[in-house]
Amino acid sequence: MTLTQRGTGIEIRGLRKAFGQVTAIDHLDLDIHPGEFLALLGPSGSGKSTVLMALAGFEPPTGGTIRIDGEDCTHVPPHRRNIGMVFQHYTLFPHMSVLDNVAFPLRMRGVAKEERRARAAAALETVRLGAFGDRLPKQLSGGQQQRVAIARAIVYNPRVLLMDEPLSALDKNLREEMQIEIKRLQESLGITVVFVTHDQGEALTMADRVAILQSGRLQQISPARELYERPANLFAAGFIGEMNQLNARYDGARAHFSDGTSLAVPQTALVAPVPPGPATLTIRPERVRPVAPGSGDLQGVVRDVIYSGAGTLIIAELPGGTEFRARISSAGIAPPAAGAPLGFALPPEGLLLYPAAA
Amino acid sequence: MAAGFFQPEGRRLSKAAVTALMLPFFSVIALVFLWPLLSLLSLSVLEPEPTLAHYQRAIDNPVYARVLWRTLVIALWVSAVSLLLAFPVALLMARSEGPKLAFITACILLPFWSSVLVRTAAWSVLLQRKGLINEGMQGIGLTAEPLKLLYTQGAVVVAMVHVLMPFMVLPIYGALRNIPADYARAAAICGAPPWRGFLHVTLPLALPGVIGGFILVFLTALGYFITPSLLGSPKEMMISTLISQQIREHLDWPFAAALVGLLTLFVTAITLVFSRLFGFDRMLGGRK
Repeated sequence: MTLTQRGTGIEIRGLRKAFGQVTAIDHLDLDIHPGEFLALLGPSGSGKSTVLMALAGFEPPTGGTIRIDGEDCTHVPPHRRNIGMVFQHYTLFPHMSVLDNVAFPLRMRGVAKEERRARAAAALETVRLGAFGDRLPKQLSGGQQQRVAIARAIVYNPRVLLMDEPLSALDKNLREEMQIEIKRLQESLGITVVFVTHDQGEALTMADRVAILQSGRLQQISPARELYERPANLFAAGFIGEMNQLNARYDGARAHFSDGTSLAVPQTALVAPVPPGPATLTIRPERVRPVAPGSGDLQGVVRDVIYSGAGTLIIAELPGGTEFRARISSAGIAPPAAGAPLGFALPPEGLLLYPAAA
Repeated sequence: MAAGFFQPEGRRLSKAAVTALMLPFFSVIALVFLWPLLSLLSLSVLEPEPTLAHYQRAIDNPVYARVLWRTLVIALWVSAVSLLLAFPVALLMARSEGPKLAFITACILLPFWSSVLVRTAAWSVLLQRKGLINEGMQGIGLTAEPLKLLYTQGAVVVAMVHVLMPFMVLPIYGALRNIPADYARAAAICGAPPWRGFLHVTLPLALPGVIGGFILVFLTALGYFITPSLLGSPKEMMISTLISQQIREHLDWPFAAALVGLLTLFVTAITLVFSRLFGFDRMLGGRK
């Protein structure tokens, strides 16, 4: 008995969900490709979990449609959706053995006892817990319980696997191990996965594409590299990783700062057209190069120097009080002392320009 | 205060703390329950001389065995009917929030504000030949003659259910409330329609509360006195009425004490069996 499946696509159109006066999802359009690993990333209250609840069928949407494999299932109850789901807190049924937990979905589908035991055992084997079938869930560690939950969610070859912050209850080392394991499993099964997380590192590591949500709206959906290197808007730029943000006035070619200095803005810095006027110039701290005071594009005073093993973070203050960060390799020259003046070179290929936030 | 009296890490209390917390309760229990019980039981084997004759008499005479058996059957009926009525209420409570939950809880607890005697008297008013129920049934033509409702086993069961039902509702509510909502969702997404999810997941997880409520009601019903003596007939005497009769009418303290001994033995045995089968801490909401 093998667990091979073909992932299916999901089409979300105009999805809306309101809880009383509060709008949790606001006209969301989202296409999830067959076999894709999509991460829904956002701060708490962004609506990412509500999207998952709507996909699972636990929270009927206020408006819009959800199509899975072309079939409208906006109002189909959860037990008829043939979707797998892994919850944050495992939710293994505590009164059933591990094997019975995994066999439960098959039992609900009327699979004969012998067959469902064999298939459940095979699914447990897939998550490397073949020897643990007779135990009770509470006799397993957190990571093992979550793997059982995954086995239970894939044993019936669901069309889609939903995961609601499945790793957030695990400690850091185990979390990284599980990220790789889930990713590997997803690739070998070819199943479509929708993964909700607030951990951007997790989203970038695991997902083929990341969708960023804020206040119930989709901010950007793109592959991890693009999301980090070329965020579509200022929110995405600030939400993923660290980003220096400098207020400037854009005249169509150069960015002018309030202290009278200016910087040429290359065409590559414009992810989308930016009209002349107030703008925000951004650059990732690891792109910034500290140089001798007086040279470079910006001048600042070092506030803190934070050593963190491989890298060192320099936090400086620019004239006008703006905080500015640079990340350098610790292996290089000795870092400057706090209070010392420092220049910063901003390589043109690292610059990104956005219209100023309204 | 000695270090380690309270151990902040973990939830276990030190031995000294346990002793200090339990002492007032156990002192009262020892004084007003254990001591009178033991002196009563000593009557049963020491009066007028060391003997087991009183127990012999209670066991040999089939009348007394029948009373004990009847007590058992009535207590089972009361527990079963309470369970059937209480479970839906507990489920509703577990699914409710805010004012609705407060309202249902108030309805459950309201009867505690009046004495058992008053509530039992209310039933005898309702159930008498010219009572509300008989008049009502005659009024809508269900029966031509007034039925004998009062002084029957049915009247005793109904009134006892009324008094004891809160003790069934509360443990079941506690157990249901402790089940995280994600379990029902997990069952649903696994393909279980609501009723199967309830049957396979919610119900087994609520079982400790059900059993806890059941034995609470069952054991209380076994020793119930006021309701059976006011609403039952002498033909349907329960064990506590029999004991009271032996003491007050026949002044046969040693024999009454022997009956108390038998009842105590019975209750202890049942409690131990349940405890062995299910574990008491789980019935009261503890988790393993």
